[in-house]
Amino acid sequence: MIVAAALGSDLLRAVLQGAPPGAVYALVALGFVLTYKTSGVFNLAFGAQAYISAAMYYKAHSDWKWPIVPALALSVFVLAPALGLVLERLVFRHLRTASSVAKLVVTLGLSVALPSIFELIIGFEGVAGRTPDGIVPRGAGVFYDPFGVYPFSRNELMSMGVALLAMVGLAALFRFTSIGLQMRAVVESPRMTELNGINADRVSAFSWALSSLFAGLAGVLIAPRFNTLAAPDFFNLVVVAIAAAVLGRLVSLPRALVGGLGLGVLIALLGTFLPRWSKTHTWLRPFQENLTPSVPFVVLFGVLVLWPAIRRTREVVDPLSGVDPPPPSLAAATRSAALTRATRLFGVVALATIGIVVYARADASWMFLVTQAVIMSTIYLSVTVITGLAGQISLCQGTFAAIGGFTVFQLADRHGMSVLVAAVIGAVIASGVGAVLSLPVLRLGGIWTAVATLAFAYFFDAVLVKISWIGGGNTSILQGTRVPRPVIGPWDFADDRALLVLAVIVFVLVAIAVIQIRDGTVGRTLRAIRGSEVAAEAIGISPARARVTAFAVSAFIAGLGGALLSIQQRNVNYGSNFSPFAALFWLVLVVSLGARTVEGAAQAGASFALFDMLVLRGSLLGWILRSSKRIPGVFPISAKWRFVLFGLGTIQFARHPEGLVEYSKRRAFARAERLTRTRPDADQGHEGVDESAPVAPVEESVR
Amino acid sequence: MTALLDAHAVCKSFSGIVALHELDISVDAGECVGLIGPNGAGKTTFFNCVLGVLRADSGVVRFDGDDISRLRVHERARRGVGRTFQRIELFAESTVREHLLIAERTRRGDGRLWKDLIGRGRPRPEEVARCDEVLDLLGLLRIADEPIEHLSLGQGRLVEVGRALMTDPKLLLLDEPTSGLDRQETADLAATLREVQATKGFAILLVEHDVEFVAGFTTRCYVLDFGSMIASGPTADVLHDPAVREAYLGAPGVHQ
Repeated sequence: MIVAAALGSDLLRAVLQGAPPGAVYALVALGFVLTYKTSGVFNLAFGAQAYISAAMYYKAHSDWKWPIVPALALSVFVLAPALGLVLERLVFRHLRTASSVAKLVVTLGLSVALPSIFELIIGFEGVAGRTPDGIVPRGAGVFYDPFGVYPFSRNELMSMGVALLAMVGLAALFRFTSIGLQMRAVVESPRMTELNGINADRVSAFSWALSSLFAGLAGVLIAPRFNTLAAPDFFNLVVVAIAAAVLGRLVSLPRALVGGLGLGVLIALLGTFLPRWSKTHTWLRPFQENLTPSVPFVVLFGVLVLWPAIRRTREVVDPLSGVDPPPPSLAAATRSAALTRATRLFGVVALATIGIVVYARADASWMFLVTQAVIMSTIYLSVTVITGLAGQISLCQGTFAAIGGFTVFQLADRHGMSVLVAAVIGAVIASGVGAVLSLPVLRLGGIWTAVATLAFAYFFDAVLVKISWIGGGNTSILQGTRVPRPVIGPWDFADDRALLVLAVIVFVLVAIAVIQIRDGTVGRTLRAIRGSEVAAEAIGISPARARVTAFAVSAFIAGLGGALLSIQQRNVNYGSNFSPFAALFWLVLVVSLGARTVEGAAQAGASFALFDMLVLRGSLLGWILRSSKRIPGVFPISAKWRFVLFGLGTIQFARHPEGLVEYSKRRAFARAERLTRTRPDADQGHEGVDESAPVAPVEESVR
Repeated sequence: MTALLDAHAVCKSFSGIVALHELDISVDAGECVGLIGPNGAGKTTFFNCVLGVLRADSGVVRFDGDDISRLRVHERARRGVGRTFQRIELFAESTVREHLLIAERTRRGDGRLWKDLIGRGRPRPEEVARCDEVLDLLGLLRIADEPIEHLSLGQGRLVEVGRALMTDPKLLLLDEPTSGLDRQETADLAATLREVQATKGFAILLVEHDVEFVAGFTTRCYVLDFGSMIASGPTADVLHDPAVREAYLGAPGVHQ
């Protein structure tokens, strides 16, 4: 009897304890579903929006010492809807007919760009080591204990109340108002809705403002739960909210609410009732300790993979999208082969020149950065394979790279194996993990592949990194994850110059492999699948097999690159190099510069490592002016501009999926060809081809 | 002699609505067979059951003597079931010849990753020659290097036919090949198809709304209405069957 009562009170406490965070998850999930439902955008930038409101509130309330009400009004009721309106007007209104993957990529870019834009404008730096204040006075200090088992803080009660209110408000909006009905119509087809005389722009703007308000609310409510205030935490929060939202198949608001609450309670229940295995089986401890934070990622991954209904949730495709003109083909496809060869040769010569100058003249810090650029380019070739060739968005490339890095750490540092052999083994392991992961994940397709890989990345981040035979566990926190430099015969790669040579050799080999694959059977097969999966199947191609190959190759490259990066830095540096949020920037960078070509990857690598030093700190201008003293006073420009520029660069992805490099190149070639076209029969091939009647269903090439 | 395609007692329903009811349809090698019926009759559903896009609830689909009911789309394609699409499905960013090359490469089953890595993945002369032979047959050789974005709908449909031909199909399923084409294009397509079929000798199963096209192209045809067979036999006879006219035009008297 006493046991039952104790169990009962434990249960009740766990439920009560789980309710407040659950309410905030629910709030984020509601806002997320609202955006998805009304604009068809799978808005991963939701976390960035929440972060901006939370940071604004912190700035106003804690720094400027404003009272709560005006601070709240500014951050949540003015800034948040305004941000939503701006995003809708400047970005998403133009993307309404784009594929959902293209929209997803744009939101990824915004997740990277928005926090930095805000921080630059307001002059805000992330807060660490201090818990942000809530939106009620002494929110964390005053407790109420209605059931005698779990005392709620004021902040927690506030979260629950706001979530409930929001839900009721939303339900009423959709049910009783005409704008609610119009919002639902706009989802189906904005152009169709406009044909019925409804201003789709206005409806869409309203729904963005509303969902942004939700993001802001959730942001200020969740902030007191962290003891930091930083953008990655909020991105993490969105992933948790997606887990709640998929439980409602992303369209049902009540189920999103229940999903959010359920997740909060589930986490609390697991924390209360999990048997303490760790006393007898120490190897289980990392799972045990990190199980609860990883629950949302496990749930998300499990739901996506095991619940077929979610996969059948149709992507929102505008019935009128067929009237759009097809996207242009790659520059390489339209220009002459001689020109292609000439530009390739030019590129190689230019790179070789830079390489020789750096090798001969550069000092240690430049040598380090250039080597890093080369290694990052190698890693980015993995994105070229999976996104450029296979058309899939993978958000766990950082994880594959980390597997490479950790393998070298484990084998070389702990077991004394040859470093380069360990690097190759790391790549092979990453490749194996990639292949196994691709089996459940790649069936999903489109945005679901992206989300499932993101869930995997966070699971790795929360649990696997902390296991001693993977990430080094507790010892690595104290001692770091040391990685030695390799020595082969007479070459000692402890010398940075030698390492640069090694990195260049690896990059060139991988680049050649990628080009061979692209022009070979595997690349053609992938291109066919990307073009039309049904048609590819109809000629006997197995899409599953082709994609497993692509994923395995991509993971191999990422693993190899990750191993090299760890060797270069003599440490794995998981948090700064490979964490899911850090790796998000990789995808953003590669996609905005060009995911289809080796050049795109190389430029992305160079941008990652050198943009800050060369451009933002004014070194380049200094060289041009021949004196570092003449660098104008505007330099150094904040390094955050990297995130802003490349994050916003993804916006063109919807219209130019080939990336900025390729786009500008095609324009330049088109101009050059117009100037040099002297032979009248130069375009004989076009004769008799009816260009006015393009084949209709050439859709987004990445879906 | 067993038929090339032998679908026996195929049933399919979607959440209670019967789309196909006990259909028996067969196609002999080298034969041109039509499948007609008003919208919603189940033609496309039957196509999908043959192709493997859908799986029949019950019944057997035999192809070339083997039961293929459980095979997946690409496995059926490799056994010789080719198709074209009603709403054209081409590979973006590829030229006409590349469409045929990838089909040829897939047919040969010669796509190992290591071959790509050592540079053996590029088109070989004999593959190009085989593609060009088919392109010539279809009259597409002149535009072989065009990106498909530049093609007209009629040409696109021929590219689909060519791509399917590269897989050496024993049976080609044509899904409303004339949809979206004007009269002249339809006539050209019919002429080309007839010529190619005479050369290659594969069988055709045709779903089509254009009765004239069906009459001129097929020797035999099946008529579906509401998922059931309402007529079958030589095309000329079937098209004059009162039951068929009723299904297409409504009950006599209504439209008079």
